[in-house]
Amino acid sequence: MVLKVTPAIAAWVLALGTVMGRADAAIDTIDQYVTFSGFGTLGVVHSDYSQADFIAHVVQPRGAGFTSWSATLDSDLGGQANFTLTDSLSGVVQVLSRDDPNGHFTPSVEWANLQYEITSDLKVRLGRMVLPTYEHSDTQNVGYTLPWVRIPIEIAYTDAGLHSDGLDVLYRVKTGSVTQNLQVQWGRTAVDLPGIEFTSTPSAVAVFSDTLQYGDASLRLVYQKYDGARIPTARLQVIGAGLTYDPGAWFVTGDSNYSRNKFFGNLLAWYVSGGVRLGHFAPYAIYSTTRALSDGTSGLKSLGNDHTMAAGVRWDFAKNLDAKLQLQQVTIDSLDDSASFADIGPSARIGDKANVLSLTLDFVF
Amino acid sequence: MVIVNLAAAPITKDQVADLYLGRTDAWTPIDQDVASGIYVEFYKKVTGRDSAQIKAIWSRILFTNRGVPPKQLPDSAAVKKAVAANLKAVGYIEKSAVDASIKVALQVD
Repeated sequence: MVLKVTPAIAAWVLALGTVMGRADAAIDTIDQYVTFSGFGTLGVVHSDYSQADFIAHVVQPRGAGFTSWSATLDSDLGGQANFTLTDSLSGVVQVLSRDDPNGHFTPSVEWANLQYEITSDLKVRLGRMVLPTYEHSDTQNVGYTLPWVRIPIEIAYTDAGLHSDGLDVLYRVKTGSVTQNLQVQWGRTAVDLPGIEFTSTPSAVAVFSDTLQYGDASLRLVYQKYDGARIPTARLQVIGAGLTYDPGAWFVTGDSNYSRNKFFGNLLAWYVSGGVRLGHFAPYAIYSTTRALSDGTSGLKSLGNDHTMAAGVRWDFAKNLDAKLQLQQVTIDSLDDSASFADIGPSARIGDKANVLSLTLDFVF
Repeated sequence: MVIVNLAAAPITKDQVADLYLGRTDAWTPIDQDVASGIYVEFYKKVTGRDSAQIKAIWSRILFTNRGVPPKQLPDSAAVKKAVAANLKAVGYIEKSAVDASIKVALQVD
């Protein structure tokens, strides 16, 4: 077993110690103007497939495979400060450290914006916002908020940006029993993928999203349009739709993303998942896949294609802490950058299967 | 257990659930201590969820910059005081703790 112990892992262990040592509630109030909070995940992944590296996030250049165990895939640490400036003006800064396209844990600023509340239902934000691309895209790094070890990687295989610097408008409107959360966003984003050739110059992004909530059911719709990037990666449109029903004792959820990309071709990704909550345990299952619908001008064939069957369990064993175990079988359906893998070797064949075991510990504070 | 506010504005169980699950900003929810019996009972009866699920839901709201969790006060006396001071505030307390400073908006059985 090869485990890389980095300074970042040492930092998580320290942070975890802090969480466990704290008897008090989630948020530490220094005074009425600033609140601090944080989150993190410590995880290990084992894959029995040595011809390619199993990865947890599309931007990761390496994973579990050739060196069967990896502690870098799911592990992360984030901190957030919320500022209350006046009754209607607030700010937020969130910094995250996780395995990035360069294979480092360089901290990055995920959120940094000022929010002005015009009414309780109409808010304007200026600064950096995480893009709403798929269900959970904006909390994918906060393992504690997810029912699974991680979001199904296929849904994230869109080449969309992670966050944008610009302006957005949030409007909440209630019609009968349905609440709509409308979001319009304009900004600039950069798409950074492993490899120097995939570091883009910033492109303009426009986003329209709507989340309709009806009791315990929610429907998510999103449209994103990227323009003006110098590399082809970011010239794309993304259309997403997802549905979740979660009355508490059990849940079902499904999400889909269609991306139009002249260079890489058009892709359709989707997943369905369900689970039950039995006391402190919440077992679940997921089926996820991504399919190339066309070959783009890049010449890469069936880009991203793979499918995954997964089963796991979340265990809420202590306050603000959970542990998860997930088993999954991923089938490679393309040798050109199958979504769940990096570094696909020459001996890999279509139809090859990787059996992957993941263990994580999530915390919030 | 009863849901209280200052104006005795009628509120349904579903509306209370939406409020404490962060689905509406129509009122300001006031919470009890997460370790208290009334906290567990309230979330179980009104939302069908346990404290870990509530923590996960509010963590999602907090870390996506869409709101902050309801303020947790140590006991029903503190909740009554907060509700009595804010026309938009809603809280939950034991039925036996009701007094003239606040009004009962909904009884939860």
